[in-house]
Amino acid sequence: MKLRIGGLAAMIVVAWLLPYGLGSYAIHVVNIALIYALLAIGMGLAMGISGQINLAQVAFFGVGAYVVAILTTHNGYGFWAASALALLATVATGLFVGVPALRMQSHYLGIVTLGLALGFLNWITNATITGGADGISGIPLPTLPGIDLSSEYLYYYVELVVCVLGLAFGLFVVRTALGRRLRAMRDDSLAASAMGAQIPLLRMTAFVLASLYGGMAGILYAGLIRYVAPETFSIANMFILLAMVIIGGRRSLVGCVVGAIGLTLIREWLSDFSTYAQLGYGVVVVLMVVFAPTGLAGVPGLVRDAVRRRSRTSGGPRAELRPFTPYEVSPPPDDQATGPLLDIRAVTKDFRGLRALDDVSLSVLPGEIRGIVGPNGSGKTTLFNVVSGFYRATSGQVRLSGRDTTATRPYTLSLLGVARTFQNLRLFSHLTVRENILVALDRTRTHTIWRYVLWPPGVLRQERRLRTQAQELLDRFGLADFADTPPGSLPYGIQRRIEIARAMAARPRLLLLDEPAAGLNGEEVGQLAHMVRSIRDSGTTVVLIEHNMGLVMSLCEQVTVLAGGRVIAEGTPPEVVASPAVIEAYLGDSEMAQDAREAAPPLTATTPHLPSPSPSNSEEAAR
Amino acid sequence: MQETLQTLVGGLSLGAVYALVAMGFSLVYRTMGLVNFAHADIAMIGAYAASTFYLTSKMPFVVAMVVAIVVTGAIGLVIERVLRPLENKDFDLMLIGTIGFGIVLQAVAILIWGTTGRAVPSPVRSAPLDVFGVRVRTYDLLVMAVAAFAVIGLAWFLARTKRGAAMQAVAMDHEAATAVGINVGRSNALAFSIGAGLAALAGGLVGPMLYVDASLGGALGIKGFAAAMLGGFGSIPGAVVGGLAIGVLDSYAAGHFQGYSVLVTFLVFTAAIMIRPMGVFGERTVSRA
Amino acid sequence: MKIPSLLPGKRATAPAHAATLAVDDLSVHYGGVCAVRSIDFSIAPGESVGIIGANGAGKTSTLKALMGLVPRSGGRITLGERDLGKVPARDMVRHGIGYVPEGRHVFPGLPVEKNLLLGAYARRWDDETRATLAEVHELFPVLGEMGTRLAGALSGGQQQMLAIGRALMARPRILLLDEPSMGLSPKLVSGILDVLLRLREEGLSLLLVEQNAKLTFGATSHCLVMENGEVAMTGSAQELSRDERVRRIYLGL
Repeated sequence: MKLRIGGLAAMIVVAWLLPYGLGSYAIHVVNIALIYALLAIGMGLAMGISGQINLAQVAFFGVGAYVVAILTTHNGYGFWAASALALLATVATGLFVGVPALRMQSHYLGIVTLGLALGFLNWITNATITGGADGISGIPLPTLPGIDLSSEYLYYYVELVVCVLGLAFGLFVVRTALGRRLRAMRDDSLAASAMGAQIPLLRMTAFVLASLYGGMAGILYAGLIRYVAPETFSIANMFILLAMVIIGGRRSLVGCVVGAIGLTLIREWLSDFSTYAQLGYGVVVVLMVVFAPTGLAGVPGLVRDAVRRRSRTSGGPRAELRPFTPYEVSPPPDDQATGPLLDIRAVTKDFRGLRALDDVSLSVLPGEIRGIVGPNGSGKTTLFNVVSGFYRATSGQVRLSGRDTTATRPYTLSLLGVARTFQNLRLFSHLTVRENILVALDRTRTHTIWRYVLWPPGVLRQERRLRTQAQELLDRFGLADFADTPPGSLPYGIQRRIEIARAMAARPRLLLLDEPAAGLNGEEVGQLAHMVRSIRDSGTTVVLIEHNMGLVMSLCEQVTVLAGGRVIAEGTPPEVVASPAVIEAYLGDSEMAQDAREAAPPLTATTPHLPSPSPSNSEEAAR
Repeated sequence: MQETLQTLVGGLSLGAVYALVAMGFSLVYRTMGLVNFAHADIAMIGAYAASTFYLTSKMPFVVAMVVAIVVTGAIGLVIERVLRPLENKDFDLMLIGTIGFGIVLQAVAILIWGTTGRAVPSPVRSAPLDVFGVRVRTYDLLVMAVAAFAVIGLAWFLARTKRGAAMQAVAMDHEAATAVGINVGRSNALAFSIGAGLAALAGGLVGPMLYVDASLGGALGIKGFAAAMLGGFGSIPGAVVGGLAIGVLDSYAAGHFQGYSVLVTFLVFTAAIMIRPMGVFGERTVSRA
Repeated sequence: MKIPSLLPGKRATAPAHAATLAVDDLSVHYGGVCAVRSIDFSIAPGESVGIIGANGAGKTSTLKALMGLVPRSGGRITLGERDLGKVPARDMVRHGIGYVPEGRHVFPGLPVEKNLLLGAYARRWDDETRATLAEVHELFPVLGEMGTRLAGALSGGQQQMLAIGRALMARPRILLLDEPSMGLSPKLVSGILDVLLRLREEGLSLLLVEQNAKLTFGATSHCLVMENGEVAMTGSAQELSRDERVRRIYLGL
């Protein structure tokens, strides 16, 4: 920590003293580099942190610069007044460009944003107000009392301050609640929404952040060069900006800054061979993508891992999974007073002609542990997806404590107290275990992010509270040793436990566990049973899908059996096991298999009677 | 009426070129799940190569095209080989990798052919035809015919040949394809080089219609991508429909909004794709998005 | 009625190069996580072996590692004298090993007929292929009736038949099946059982990976129970189906 502060202080001193050692052209280049750094931070926030492929960053840059230019030269605004409006205009553009992200992601979004950037370029090249291909010159000098900004040396300090503040704000966002939600959304938007993150709002936030930085860069550019023309905002420059972010490391804002400054300097240095420089960028981008996808920022981590792997044999105290500390028992709710916690009424779910759930009704009382069993493909997970808001039932109703939640979104359900785990672990792979927990601990509505702008101390206070709770939870689930590792590198059993801990971090009233015992060994299954009971005793109602019949029999008070999308039996475990329908459909008796073998058709038998909807099959049978 | 028809005809010939770009793009996407942002620049290289062989080496236009297709097909093989480690893994990284290749190809084009660009004379010199008062350039007809042949040829290859079926199978399920004995890597390489060849065909054909320079890829490519999206990513008929739609939209916007045609085209495109993100023919086989 | 014969050379004599498939000390790791730990088993010509276990026990990983679809972190795989360790997954079918993947994995956008023909990709498409196709149609008449339908439009049970039929098109000597019962109604599962028994009768070797213990015990003679990446128990199907623990956990009795 001390080392860090020392390093930071040294960098500030160097940055402060830098102009004294530079010629007038060199300081100009540095000023340009800082502008690209701001652009790259915005790009990193959208692409690397939030996973939104935004290829319109250069258009945000352009909007900022052009609005300043137009307002100052055409409308006679002062530089700073124009800047304020320019920032507003850029954010508005960001919101506009971000709208498609609500409907599409990945390459779709990349192409649409690139297309919009191209449209912007087309507009500034042809409109009269933008001066067409010639651009706008004669932007007035920005004024600051007591500082002559016509000196590029002094302009440098203005840029430096903006950049440092910009980076600091960016890092503040990334490392606190909002950034965690953005990163969670990037890693797995589905799981993030199940943890209470409002995905559409977060996507728009990502674009607003990107445009904010783009706009600031544009304003600084207009003040520095005092001339704007279309070629600065070309698609080629967009791709160079992309190269900066990739080479620097898209997931690290500092990496983005390093990439931007480094590449700008190299580009300047190679300006006589600009085509070769371009060739070089391209090659480096390709190599980076294949060999070092985390960019320069990821290199220290790769080296550290390699060193650690080599020295593993020496090993210090080994990280281990510690036992689970049970929750305090809370008094059982006076049931009947409240009625069922979860009430599923005649739910049907169709997928393009395939009926996954067929008239399923099921109600779970508060404080119950309910098992749902059934063959693979019988609709169990679909039922969970309907309850947790991922799917909307084709017909029927889902009620939570009497409230109709059939059409409620996953993030709202999460805030209402529904938490779940996933059959195929959906942990946020690039977040640490602690951060995974923190994402779920954050129970605030996403729109409270206004505090980032208006009241940052509030964010910090909440952050401290969440971190204390996260530590408690990690200790409770025995995960403290793994708190700062990414979950992907941990054994399967531990990952399963992290998922349960993460779900419990949301302090749910209803916990849905989708095959929690899958892949666990006997001992781990025992621990799981212990955990689930304690969770129930703490006042959380549990519904679990499970194949391990031993676990279901010992854990659940009530069991519902699904087959082919229908409820075929419901009752206590012994009742269910004795039900003929269940024996037929699921458990089967081994005698039957024996019979089947004995009855196996000899070679001369007719074709196997595989049921088929085709009409000719009945002919087959008739013959 | 006359004017509308004229716009339509102009749009269709350019649309045929967009359709070719979109088709190559879709083929690669469909078989490899790779969004090839370098596709447009491959088309640009194709345009340059074809014009060079045609103008400088004095080859007949057809021969120049064939040579250009072979050259770019080889470039496609190289790109596929380099990015192979990322196949079926990180989608976004692969996308950025192809952007990197695009930057490289543009730089290479500038190194070889310079920054000035060139105008390519039409290889068909006969006067425009007059069909019910609408002027139709013979070269435009040629372009549409070639594009139609390419579509039919590709459709035939995919539907009727063993290798074509295998290529589709790889796209739908590379693991099951491996299990039945298909060499997935080789199939992908072939798909990629066919895609690159189609790009070169588009580039070569568009040469005499537009001005050939290093930024040709940008304009051609983004509209080609837009065409592919509009028609439905990965769908061959979608590429054709989308290409023609973008071509007509483009030509209409150029007629009515002059300088702002690109802006209008992309605003309309964005609105359309917002309404129907899966495009006209949807994404039938690969669901990666 | 002609008996469909799906084995190479079955009509005249026993398979000329019948050989035992032996898996020795096979392990699979994903990253640092061990999915399969040192598994051994063998399948003699005409024998059928089952692997049962819960989701995540490592059954599918075992099968995929055997096929070479996921990298093996250790172990030997031999077919008679031949070492299959270095044979790439795409050439396994050329050594007579057919694979029916979990979740069927038919080629959804291609017609049923094309799916079947692609099963014979490793062979020349000639008269013999057509004969095999006819045999598969005889085994699964529905596939013949739906020849031009897109495979993705078939029901789950039909897709499962298609997946098996596609694997048979290569005329394998050993058929690996990964959870053919998944998502099928009990009635369909018993249909699948009939087919498997029939293939067995014809001398095809089977390796059946299943969660459905009942189906597995019915269709195979020798079984392994996998738990947490390791073989927890082995024995004949009869022995295991009487085992107290197996009955409790896997048969729910």
